[in-house]
Amino acid sequence: MASEIEVGTKYIPDMSKTEIEDLRKQFTESSLKVIKDNIDRMKKSWPNRPKEMEYFDEISNLFGKRQQEISEQKQAGKKVIGYTCMFAPIELIIAAGAIPVRVGSGWYDSAKLGDRIMPVEVCPVIRSTVGAKMVHLSPFLELSDAVITPLTCDGRTKLSEILADYKTIWRMSPPRVKDDAHALQLWKEEMMVIKQKIEELTGTKITRENLKEAIEKLQKATKAFRRLQEIRKGPPVITGRDAMLVNQTSLWDDIERWTQKTDELCDVLEKRVEEKDYATYPDTPRVMITGTPMIWPDSWKVPNLIEEANPKGLLAVDEQCSGDRILYDPVGVDEWTMSDMLNAVTERYLMACTCPCFTSDNGNEDRVNWIMDRIKEYKVDGVIYYVVRGCILYAMEYARIKRVLDRMNIPVYYLDTEYTREDVGQMKTRIEAFLEMLEARIDI
Amino acid sequence: MISAGIDMGTQRVKVAIIKDKQVIATAQNFSGFEPAAVAQQTLNEALEAAKLSREDVAHITATGAGVDMATFADSNISMMGADAKAGAYFFPSVRTVIDVGAEDARAVKCDEYGIMQDFVVNARCAAGAGTFIEAMARALEVDLEEMGPLSLKAERASTINASCVIFAESDVVSLIHREEPKSEIARAIFDAMAERVTSMVRRLGVTPDLALVGGVAKDVGFVAALKRRLGTEILIPENPIFAGAVGAGLVAARRAKRRQ
Repeated sequence: MASEIEVGTKYIPDMSKTEIEDLRKQFTESSLKVIKDNIDRMKKSWPNRPKEMEYFDEISNLFGKRQQEISEQKQAGKKVIGYTCMFAPIELIIAAGAIPVRVGSGWYDSAKLGDRIMPVEVCPVIRSTVGAKMVHLSPFLELSDAVITPLTCDGRTKLSEILADYKTIWRMSPPRVKDDAHALQLWKEEMMVIKQKIEELTGTKITRENLKEAIEKLQKATKAFRRLQEIRKGPPVITGRDAMLVNQTSLWDDIERWTQKTDELCDVLEKRVEEKDYATYPDTPRVMITGTPMIWPDSWKVPNLIEEANPKGLLAVDEQCSGDRILYDPVGVDEWTMSDMLNAVTERYLMACTCPCFTSDNGNEDRVNWIMDRIKEYKVDGVIYYVVRGCILYAMEYARIKRVLDRMNIPVYYLDTEYTREDVGQMKTRIEAFLEMLEARIDI
Repeated sequence: MISAGIDMGTQRVKVAIIKDKQVIATAQNFSGFEPAAVAQQTLNEALEAAKLSREDVAHITATGAGVDMATFADSNISMMGADAKAGAYFFPSVRTVIDVGAEDARAVKCDEYGIMQDFVVNARCAAGAGTFIEAMARALEVDLEEMGPLSLKAERASTINASCVIFAESDVVSLIHREEPKSEIARAIFDAMAERVTSMVRRLGVTPDLALVGGVAKDVGFVAALKRRLGTEILIPENPIFAGAVGAGLVAARRAKRRQ
């Protein structure tokens, strides 16, 4: 912890209390404005937006109700366990009675601040998280008693040591080759270490009963998520941004309540399918996004541009760890024995993952297959390959994915951007040209 | 039927009046500080040249970086869409259109109907666009128009390592200090710029025939450098600067017809 480390050995230089406080206030205000602006824009694009979305609007306020709830539960003795990416076993956290929250950062302002320490070549998701830590901006990171940091890309690997100046960090090393015979074994050992740490922190033993209960909770969430996704395969009764917001709030919301609210939303949407009450005209070009995670709220930049463009696009589906990948795969248990459940959790977090940190002679096969399947299932007209500068793994996989998509005759556009608001004009030009092209293809 | 296209470029506003798929008049002006007023004025000048009035025009389509400033337009089209349309209009055999303007460069793949198939843009780096030549001409103290012919006099090129305008300028200054001939420096400048544009086009894939449009297509120095780099012939229309406006005008004609 901070006090035990001598000043000068830390990454983050000392800042005056007033500077920290000023910046935190300034960033919080700016973030609240972006959150409100995003929601207003989503409402404007979807005039008949159902009132069931209001719940997700409320949870989307990173400095609101959910922060309050977690603070109160923490005061009552609950532990909060943050995680930087989707390799962290949520079921184990919930089984031990702790609160899981994802802490990767989507703030553009704090990315600029992170530049003081990190070179600009570093991915802005990392710089933003560092900047957020510098001024204690992220409520969920600040509330975390420990942070699980899977060492996936280089950015997250080094991020773990920067955060270690302030927080208890639990690293996990995922194997980068899935198919090796020993990969699952290695990962199982990582999983068992994390399990023990969770138990030590919470003082709660993970048992057959509480693990089963946790797995079942997440399975129900997956069911609700898949119900929403099933609806999105049909005519557009929900905008892509709204679906993205629903999916992303599951990262910090109470998962049982989230499941219930998502089911309520699906009830309305299913009715709208029958009533042909659409969120946009039915032949709107259907776009898939793949690549770097798009983290709420500032990274709604590109989704906003796509769904407000002239001609308009519909985000039909994505392949991102900030969206459709979060809840798609359930933990599959054959027999509810402790060992079977732990094996199932281990498998779920390794085998189902399509992160570009994996490699094989055939590349990241699971990701390629995921993309191809989704294109067919969701009748995708074109793919936007979204990469922020410094996101090397996604940038490198583009060449192969592009060739696969060319063979499928699916247009793909490589959209590279930064954590900045200044390139909106350029982005708009490129996105509109791409959508114009998709529309022309639909017309033919 | 008469239609018009207006291209709201970063440096110039261009208008083309189209009648029965033929360009019958054009006009251009510097965009200046009041592009909306300049747009109106340029349209009026083109109409005057064609001896027509605003009521004769069935549909106006706008394109270009300042597209929103052309408030009188009936519809918009992206710059890439307009380039594709214009490329196939000028030369039916063209499948790749390269557009190098003042502030950006782009390349578009199109089919025989001028429908865009794919595109790439280079809007981040000024080294691949017209302003690069301007900045370098200033450093060399040569008129902008002289740069091209000057570079053709050189048999070899000096070496410029930097591909960034700012750093290239300091490269050029040190070449001047070493008393390298201005012609060789000029050739190096066009080579550096052609290198940027070529790597952009290669990302798209070079599908012949190629056409070059945009203001920079008038520069003989750049055209020679680009041909050397791409190793292929490049078709250039008579008035390459009007490509965007012509493309937009042709799209306008189709949209007017659809509405009838």
